Formats: sequence, structure tokens, C-alpha cells
Amino acid sequence: MDARRIDLRGWVLPIALLLVAEVAMRVNGTDSEALARPSEVARALWDALKDGTVLAASLQTLAAALGGLALGGGMGLLAGLWFGLSSRAERWSLLSVELLRPVPSVALIPIAMLVFGFGYRMEMSVVAFTCFWPMMLLTQAAIRQVEPRLFEVAHVLGLAAHDRVIKIVLPAAAPRVFVAFRLGVGIALVVAVTVEIAANPQGLGFGLMSAQQNLRPDLMFALLLWVGALGWALSAALVALERRCFHRVSAAGTQA
Amino acid sequence: MGALPRSTVPSLAVVQPTDAAPLIVFDRVALDFGARRVINELSFTMKRGEVVCVIGPSGCGKTTLLRLLTGLVRPSSGEVRHHGSPVTGPARDVAIVFQDYARALLPWRSVAGNVSLALEAADVPKAERAPRIHSLLDKVGLAAHADKYPGQLSGGMQQRLQIARCLAQEPAVLLMDEPFGALDAMTRQTLQDEMLQLVAGTGTTVLFITHDLEEAIYLGDTVLALRANPGERSSLAQRFEVQLPRPRDQLATREDPEFLRLRRLAFEHVKDTH
Repeated sequence: MDARRIDLRGWVLPIALLLVAEVAMRVNGTDSEALARPSEVARALWDALKDGTVLAASLQTLAAALGGLALGGGMGLLAGLWFGLSSRAERWSLLSVELLRPVPSVALIPIAMLVFGFGYRMEMSVVAFTCFWPMMLLTQAAIRQVEPRLFEVAHVLGLAAHDRVIKIVLPAAAPRVFVAFRLGVGIALVVAVTVEIAANPQGLGFGLMSAQQNLRPDLMFALLLWVGALGWALSAALVALERRCFHRVSAAGTQA
Repeated sequence: MGALPRSTVPSLAVVQPTDAAPLIVFDRVALDFGARRVINELSFTMKRGEVVCVIGPSGCGKTTLLRLLTGLVRPSSGEVRHHGSPVTGPARDVAIVFQDYARALLPWRSVAGNVSLALEAADVPKAERAPRIHSLLDKVGLAAHADKYPGQLSGGMQQRLQIARCLAQEPAVLLMDEPFGALDAMTRQTLQDEMLQLVAGTGTTVLFITHDLEEAIYLGDTVLALRANPGERSSLAQRFEVQLPRPRDQLATREDPEFLRLRRLAFEHVKDTH
């Protein structure tokens, strides 16, 4: 009950701002190529939702973002596991990681375009590159933070090496790895839209660019709003999933 | 002396010599951590079914003693033998109860799941696990809590769970590292008696580390007092034989003149070495 009241209070400020903007633009008679009245933005969003263009673009963006995340995040998870479990692997890879990681992902767009042309593969490759690093580093850190006592327990029980990974390391690291995954979803969405704005003629980012070039500020703001809502919904869903999966474990952790 | 049964009952003859031989032998064990000698010239033996308690100031290598027996640590010189052969790694029949039960349990597994881990490690077929888990939890009084998670249990119950997981290994040797040190006095006494009952029923050999002198005398057949920074001397400062009748009783045993005598000896020893 209380939480819902706080939620409602949070709506007061944005609605008030929108009302002020609407009234101010109507009073001033603003007719701009960069700005649009909130009511016009709402109508543009409604129209774009009705004719299905926003949904189609959203699916393209989400497919590229999640596909890239699955690819890069999956590889990052495996690499993080390997480097987390073997200090020798970590020593051998350290320099390569330090050299490659700072490369801005957007700087890869020209290369990705050259290799893959336009389309999903090019967008996914850039998203995958970006998601690989945080996933790898956070997985590696998660494994290093596994309670050392549990390794001793595994040793004394005579647990086989693969059982040690599956039954001890992975479940112990899972809550932290999930946080990395949640972070990855946010990054993937940002990078996918960026690639679409910069180069790839598909998805929400391309929709934004088209609206801008067609002098449709109402549609541009509508899409902006939509991208924000999409990111918010994804993150809320993941937080809910996290609570469902790891509630027990974190509860035990705080008691310990 | 073994000639008579050996000639009459052949099956006994196989058992008898191993029964008489010590189960665990520490043979002039020394251990260095870097330049520091933690354990020096430590020799003692443990018979099958014996409860040996180890006391000593912090830093005297009490916990290290346990690790030597699990193969987590190797001696710098000398030898630790179990069943007559040197300890090189973990053995399924050597179980260890850690003091920090909250860290030694898997928080994402239920009470039953935590016991199951030991059975899974021992490759017990899936169909046999459930009844064995149930009987183990019954033994430690947790049968009603099988589906709970460690985080939902009190400290005493969590330690009982860890003991159940160790018993699942069907250990010949149970190593206990200050297992009741973090529990309140009443729970500690209850668990002391439960533990004695469990090991007496199965003939398990126990090496029990504690900083509580009275606990050591109450539980042990033998109490070993170790010294910190042994230098050239042996780590084993003193050895007390506890001739108190079993089963022990929290009131009667602790009021026994022999208990009081040993308590005085142990306290005087500790006072001198601290």
C-alpha cells in the first residue's frame, strides 16, 4: 500500500512539467522544427503504435540487442568463469583484456559495416563486443567472491571438479552474475539504438533519425519516450525476476 | 597375545590387529608457514572410537592440526598416517565440522539438499538418498525442517545440519574445529551431549578442537595441550588422560572430583603458558 502511494507521488512532477510545457507552448504559439507540444507527441505515439511501425521497430531493436547480449554475454560468462577459476588463464589474458577493453564500441561500427554490411549481424556484433567485457569482468569477480569455506567443504567431501563448478561455484556466483546480466541488458539497448542512429537503417534508432530528418519533432519525441519506457520495463521485469530467483539466497546471506 | 583368537576364529583375526593398531598417527610432525614454525615435533596417536580434545592458545596450530588430517595442508616434515598410510588428500571417511556453520552451508540448498551434497559427492544412487537424508536429519533432530533453508534456521540448528552432512559421509574420523564456540551456553551443552551420543553409537573417532578447557575435559578421553611458538620444543605441551565414566552427564560429570582435579591442572597449565 505504502509503496503504491510513493509511486503515485513520483508521477506528480513529470505530469506537472508536461502540463506547464503544453500551456506555455500554446500561450506562446510555439511552432518549432525542434520542439513539439506534449499533446502532439502523445498523438504521434498513438498513431505510430496503431499503424504498427513502432512495434516493428521495437522488435528489430530488441532482437539485435538481446541477440548481441546472448552472444557477447554468453562468451563473457564463459571467459569470466575460466579466468575466475584459473589464475594462470587470468595471467595470460590480462594484457589482452586491458588493451581491448577500452576500445569504444561505437568505433567498431565502420569495421562491422565493412564485414557484415547493414542488418542484424552488424548491429549484433557491436552489441556483443560491448556486452562481453562487463559480463566477463563481473563473472570473474563473482567467482572470486565465492565463500572460500565452500571450496574447503567441496574439497573435504571429495567433490569431483565438474561437480564443484556446477554445484558450488555457479550457484554461489549466480546472484552476482545475474546483476551483471541486468547491467548487460541496459548496455545492449543503448548500444543497439546508437548503432541504428549512427549507421544501421532499422529499428528505433533509425526511426528517431528519420523523424528528425523529416522534420517531425512530435514523432521524434514520441520515439524517445518509447525507448525510455522500453528500457524501464525491461529493467523492472529483470528486477522482479531477480527477486523471485534469488530472494532466498540473499535472505540467507544477510542472516549469515 | 593375538595368537589365541587368530587360531580359533579367522574372521576375528583380521579385525583384531587393526583394532589394536592406532587409527591415526602423528609421527614427529612439523609445519612451517614461511619462516615461522607453527607445529614442531608433534607426536600422538588416536585409537578407534577415541575422543581426543586439543586445547591451546590462539596461534598454536590447533586448526592446522585438522587441516593436516584432511590433506588441505601437508607437513613440512614428519608424517600423518591414517589407517597406516600417509595422508595425501581428502578421504571420504574423514569429515570436518567447521566452526562458522553459516559459511560452510550452501544457502541456496534446503536442509535436505545440504545433506544430499555429501551423498552426491559419494556417488550414492538417487533413490537411496531420500531415506538416508531423512534418517540423518532425524538423528540430529531436524526431520521437521527438511524443506527449510539454512538462513531460516537458528545457529544451533545450522550446526546440527552441518553435523548431519558430516555424518552422511559415514566418517570413521570426525574432525571438529571449535564447533560449538559460537553458540550460547545452553545450546552448546545440548549439542555436546548429542554429539557424544552420536559418536558413541557409531564408534566414530573424534578430534575436537576447542578453547574451552571444561568442554575439552567433559568430552575427551584424552586432552592434548599445545603450545604456541614451540621453537625447538615439541608442540605438545601436556597430555591429560580423562578417566571419567561414560556416558557423561552435564551435572554429575562436572561435579566429579576427577573432573575438578583435571580442570585445576588444565587451568594451571594454561596460566603458566599464557
